[in-house]
Amino acid sequence: MFYLGVDVGSVSTDLVLLDNNMKVAEKIYLRTKGNPIKAIQDGFKLLKDKFDGSDIAAAGTTGSGRMIASSIIGADAVKNEITAHATAALEIDQDVRTIIEIGGQDSKIIVLNNGIVSDFAMNTVCAAGTGSFLDRQAERLDIPIEKFGDYALKARTSVRIAGRCAVFAESDMIHKQQLGYNQSEIIRGLCDALVRNYLNNIAKGKTIQPKVLFQGGVAANIGMKKAFENALGFEIYVPEHFNMMGAIGAAIIAKKTSEKVGKTNFRGFELANNNIMSRSFECEGCSNKCEVVKIHENNSIIGYFGDRCGKWGSNSTKSANDLLA
Amino acid sequence: MKATFPHMGNVYLAVKALLDGLGIDYVIPPKNNKTALDIGSLHSPEEICLPYKIMIGNYVQAVEQGADTIIFVGSCGPCRLGEYCELQINLMKKLGYNLNFIVIDYPKDIGIKELFKRINEISGVSNKKAHEKLNALLNAIQVINLIDKIEEMAHMYAGYERNKGECKSLLNKCKNEAMQSKTPIEMIKILKNYQQKLKYISIDINKNPITIAIIGEIYTVIEPYSNFYIEEKLMDYGISSRRGLSPSWWVRNAALSPLKINSYKIRKNAKKYLSIPIGGHAVECIGEAVTASNEGFDGAIQIFPMGCMPEIVSKSILPTISKDLDFPVMSLVVDDMTGEAGYITRIEAFIDLLERRREDVLSRC
Repeated sequence: MFYLGVDVGSVSTDLVLLDNNMKVAEKIYLRTKGNPIKAIQDGFKLLKDKFDGSDIAAAGTTGSGRMIASSIIGADAVKNEITAHATAALEIDQDVRTIIEIGGQDSKIIVLNNGIVSDFAMNTVCAAGTGSFLDRQAERLDIPIEKFGDYALKARTSVRIAGRCAVFAESDMIHKQQLGYNQSEIIRGLCDALVRNYLNNIAKGKTIQPKVLFQGGVAANIGMKKAFENALGFEIYVPEHFNMMGAIGAAIIAKKTSEKVGKTNFRGFELANNNIMSRSFECEGCSNKCEVVKIHENNSIIGYFGDRCGKWGSNSTKSANDLLA
Repeated sequence: MKATFPHMGNVYLAVKALLDGLGIDYVIPPKNNKTALDIGSLHSPEEICLPYKIMIGNYVQAVEQGADTIIFVGSCGPCRLGEYCELQINLMKKLGYNLNFIVIDYPKDIGIKELFKRINEISGVSNKKAHEKLNALLNAIQVINLIDKIEEMAHMYAGYERNKGECKSLLNKCKNEAMQSKTPIEMIKILKNYQQKLKYISIDINKNPITIAIIGEIYTVIEPYSNFYIEEKLMDYGISSRRGLSPSWWVRNAALSPLKINSYKIRKNAKKYLSIPIGGHAVECIGEAVTASNEGFDGAIQIFPMGCMPEIVSKSILPTISKDLDFPVMSLVVDDMTGEAGYITRIEAFIDLLERRREDVLSRC
């Protein structure tokens, strides 16, 4: 049997299948491109050929698009990213004390104590230092994002870049380029600035103790890893499936939930070919004016969410049950 | 005169009762919603705190319905709220509205004579007799006490209810019905009726729900729109919550403050960490965090608008309390730019954290 985890993030949609030993049997990394429904369907098309829907013993969703993903695939568990990441990290290593997670548009720190989350923080208003920003800078410098880290390692010194704000960081980088610094030194400076920004903003007031796991898409960037190690003074670890950790966590949580219930709500891979659409409208029922999202599948409605009063059958109570699972 | 006033939680019910009792014509602005915030954000300075923006939205929407007089509370306290009335009077004038502002303030700041003069501006319009006016005021105070009590009960019982969602639906029904009432007496009757109903809902006292204290800046904790209906969300999750700051608390606190016997417990508990008032409700925030920990709550959530000075100070004190008392506290900053998705993620993760902590403690003993 397999356990499916789906992490619909702002930049990427990750699907992962775990086997009975919680080892990754299949993983798919797709760009969300602002269309989570299509991303999920694309992922399912790839999975459909190799696996059968009846092989799936449980399905879980996480990420900012977890609600929509859950109503489309019929998830057993809907979990926030923080718990999902912590669950996945603990599955790999019981001794982990700190998780640094930097994804497409948000970055988090999770502090664990004796295997339970004791504190966490997420970036609030600023996206400096997240994947999207690095992506953009790589594009601007005309360096493939995969090579970004290698460039940073080549540099002997680092150029100081103002990292507090993405806009200022960019103009500072341009300024340093105009002054004639070499590209790899600038990239290393950028990594250092982002790490500084992370430690001063998100990790402010939190003690980072080893063992530290570095996960999320940005962990692919070896320059960032090195910069973190330099700043913290000890080694940090990047797990093998660093960019799938959210999905892995969702799958593990789904396994636990479905084992408790004894069945799965998973709707099968066939929905890859169905015509799924979402529409949103402003409910006029009262002055709250909730923005309600309605999901259609082949002309029938499979779910609503976003309403507060429950008039449209908001599945908030359902997620509440999952929460206590 | 057609009076109006900004929203703050359930205050509109009390003001409705008061103005109904005085026989003064009034407009209640539409409940806070996106339109109000959009209007407010458009006209307000970008850096001003969230309550200001929502209030401007309230005024404009009320004026559209014919209001010409705005009743508002001011304060000369060291927080931006003290500047609200002056700035808003200016802003509304600039926008071309010809409005009369009546700002109610502490007598120690404006003098008792001035206070009576201002109150008279409102009550002078009423043609009721003096004892009827007094009666209207007492009724309004009773309304705010009742609705706050009802809310408190609903939030606390939500963790224990047998029929999921009963507390939430009763609370919403109660507010809707009270809003439809014609006289203060009728409203009080409705509220008392719902208080009884809540008392007798089916609860399971063997349940041991997660309990969370809501602390922070007074407007954003009381006004549900500004905090993305956090209390309703907690009710949905089956969590019992308690919020110390409420309009009725404010009335009591203001009435008792000249005698310096207000909120004794809060001040006593806050003393170790924050011994002097620094404006806003920072002392209350700190004191309530300590109180909640002493009373066995699982955790606390602090909410404040972006740029709120007193709460920024308390936010930096909270980690110390958290460490000293082994009591998890999470801070949430709200703003017109806040994304709801990240906000909910944080709340859910915090609840997970509290649950796991509890399981861990249980498994160790």
